[in-house]
Amino acid sequence: MKTKIRLSDISFSYGNKLIFKQINAEFAEHCITAIVGPSGQGKSTLLTIINRLWEDIPATNLHGKIEVWLNGTNGTPQDIYDSAYPADSLRRKVGMLFQTPNPLPMSIYRNVAFPLKLAGIKDRELVDHKVKTALRQAFLWKEVKDRLDDNALILSGGQQQRLCIARALIMEPEVLLLDEPTSSLDSRACKVIEELLLTLQQQCTIVMVSHYLDQVKRVADTTWQLEDGRLTRI
Amino acid sequence: MVMKRVKESIIVVLSWLCSLLLAGSVATIIGYLLFKGLATINLALIFGDTAPLEAIFLGRQVFNGLLPAMVGTLALVLLALIFAIPLGVAAGIYMAEYGKGRLKGWFSLFFDILASIPSIVVGLFGFSVAVFLHHNLSERIYPCLLIAALSLAFLVLPYIIRTTQVALESIPVTIRQTAPALGATKLQNISHVLLPHALSAMMSGIVLAMGRCAEDTAVIMLTGVVASAGMPRSIFAGFEALPFYIYYISAQYSDSRELASGYGAAIILLIICIMLFGLAFYIKARFELTFTARSGDKRRISQRIMKAPDRRKKSLKVNFQTEQSGQGTLL
Repeated sequence: MKTKIRLSDISFSYGNKLIFKQINAEFAEHCITAIVGPSGQGKSTLLTIINRLWEDIPATNLHGKIEVWLNGTNGTPQDIYDSAYPADSLRRKVGMLFQTPNPLPMSIYRNVAFPLKLAGIKDRELVDHKVKTALRQAFLWKEVKDRLDDNALILSGGQQQRLCIARALIMEPEVLLLDEPTSSLDSRACKVIEELLLTLQQQCTIVMVSHYLDQVKRVADTTWQLEDGRLTRI
Repeated sequence: MVMKRVKESIIVVLSWLCSLLLAGSVATIIGYLLFKGLATINLALIFGDTAPLEAIFLGRQVFNGLLPAMVGTLALVLLALIFAIPLGVAAGIYMAEYGKGRLKGWFSLFFDILASIPSIVVGLFGFSVAVFLHHNLSERIYPCLLIAALSLAFLVLPYIIRTTQVALESIPVTIRQTAPALGATKLQNISHVLLPHALSAMMSGIVLAMGRCAEDTAVIMLTGVVASAGMPRSIFAGFEALPFYIYYISAQYSDSRELASGYGAAIILLIICIMLFGLAFYIKARFELTFTARSGDKRRISQRIMKAPDRRKKSLKVNFQTEQSGQGTLL
C-alpha cells in the first residue's frame, strides 16, 4: 500500500517536558489509521504536528521530519516543515476536525463556504455547487437543504460535527485529521459519523485519535498506540 | 456549619445592599437632575430667541441657547473617536496577536502609564502642542476643535487598547484554531473570526471612551473650548461644549434661572450620551448581522442552490447514492 504520511525521528517538547521521543511511523493512503492510548499522552498534539497547528503555542519545540505525498507531485514527498512551504497551503490539503464541533457563528451556508472564502474563490455558482457537494458527502444535505440561511449554532451536536466535516471536505483535502470526533456525541450521532468516515476513506487518508476501542475496531485499518512518548503499531 | 451558612448569607445580603446603594445613587442623581432641570427644557433653552429652523440651517447664530454647545460636544466626541478607534483597535490587535516578549511588556507598561495620566495633564500637553505649533508652524494655529479632539483621543486610547486586547485574548483556543485549521492566514483569522468574535467586548471599551469624551472638561478647557463661540465653524476654530457650559454656569450664575439652565444642559448631555450609546449598539448589531444570517433572506440561498442545475451530474450521483445508503442504514 502507498504511504501518504511519514514521520521520521519526531521529538516534541512542551516547556521542559519531552512529549514524543524519536517517533517513526508511516500512514498508508486511503486508510483509516487510529491512534489510541491513555489520556495526556499527546495524541491530539501528534495530529497538530501533521498540520502545523501547534506552531502558535508558546514554549514548544519540534525536531524531526514529516513528509506528505501530495497529489500531483510525481511521487516526491513534501517536507511540510520546509520553510518555503506555507502553513495555510498545507492546511488546505490536510483538514482537521476537533473534539467538540466548532461551527462559526454564521449561517450554515457561510460556514461550509468559509474555506473557499479564505482561499479567495468568489464564483457564486462554483461556491454553491461545492457547498452542495460537501454537504451531501457529509450526509447533511437532506437535513439542512431548506434552511441554509439559518445560524449553524442551532443545529444539534451531531449535525454540527457533520457540518464541520462538510466544511473540512469542501477544499477536497487529501488528509483528514480527526481528534476524537465522536466524543461529544450520543451513540446514534456517533454511528452516523463512523459510517461517514468509511465512505470518506475513498477520497482521503484519515488519521483519527479515539478513546473507544470498539469504535477503533469498527473503522480503523491500522492502529497505533501512543504511550510514554513512543508510538507502536498494534 | 451554622457559622458557614451565616457567613454566606451575610455576603449575599451585603452584595445585595451594595448593588441597591449603587442603583439608588444613580436613580437619585437622575431624579435630582430631572427635578431641577426638567422645567427649563424647552425650545428656548436650546435655540434661545432664534427660530429653530433658522438656527439648524445656520441662517442665524444662536447666542443665548444651548444648540452650539450640543453641536460642539457631538462634533468633539465623533472627531475624537474617529482618531481613537482605529489607533486603539490596531494597538490592541498588536498587543494580543503579534506582540511578544520584552517589547510587549514595555508597551504594556506605557499603556498603563497613559491610562493613569490625569486629564488635566493631557489637556496641558495639548495646550503646549498648540502653543508650539503656533510659534513654529503657523501664527494661525490656536487651541481649537481639532487639538481638543486629538487630546481627548489620547486620553481614551488606553480604554480602547485594553478592551480590544483583553477581548481578543479571552477567545477560547477552540475558536482561535478553527480558521487556521481551514487554511486561514493569521490576518484572515483576525479579520474573519477573532475580531467579529471580540466585537461585543470591544464595544464596552468604545462606549466607555465615548462617555469619557462627552463628559471631560479638563482637557477641552485648555485646548479650545470657549463660553460663547457660536456654532463650530471649522475644526480649526474654537467651540462650545455642554460639560464646559455646565461648569461655567454653575461657577458664575447670576440668578436661579441661569442655574436651572445648567441642570437643563446636564439633562441634554445625558440624552446625547444615551443617543450615542444607542448608535454604538445599532452599529454593532448591523455589523454582527453581516457575520451571521440575515433574517430577511431566509430560504433565499436554499432556493437558489436547489434550483441550480447540477454541474457534474455523474460525480454528484455517486455522492448522492452514498448519502442515501448511509442514511438508509442508520437513521
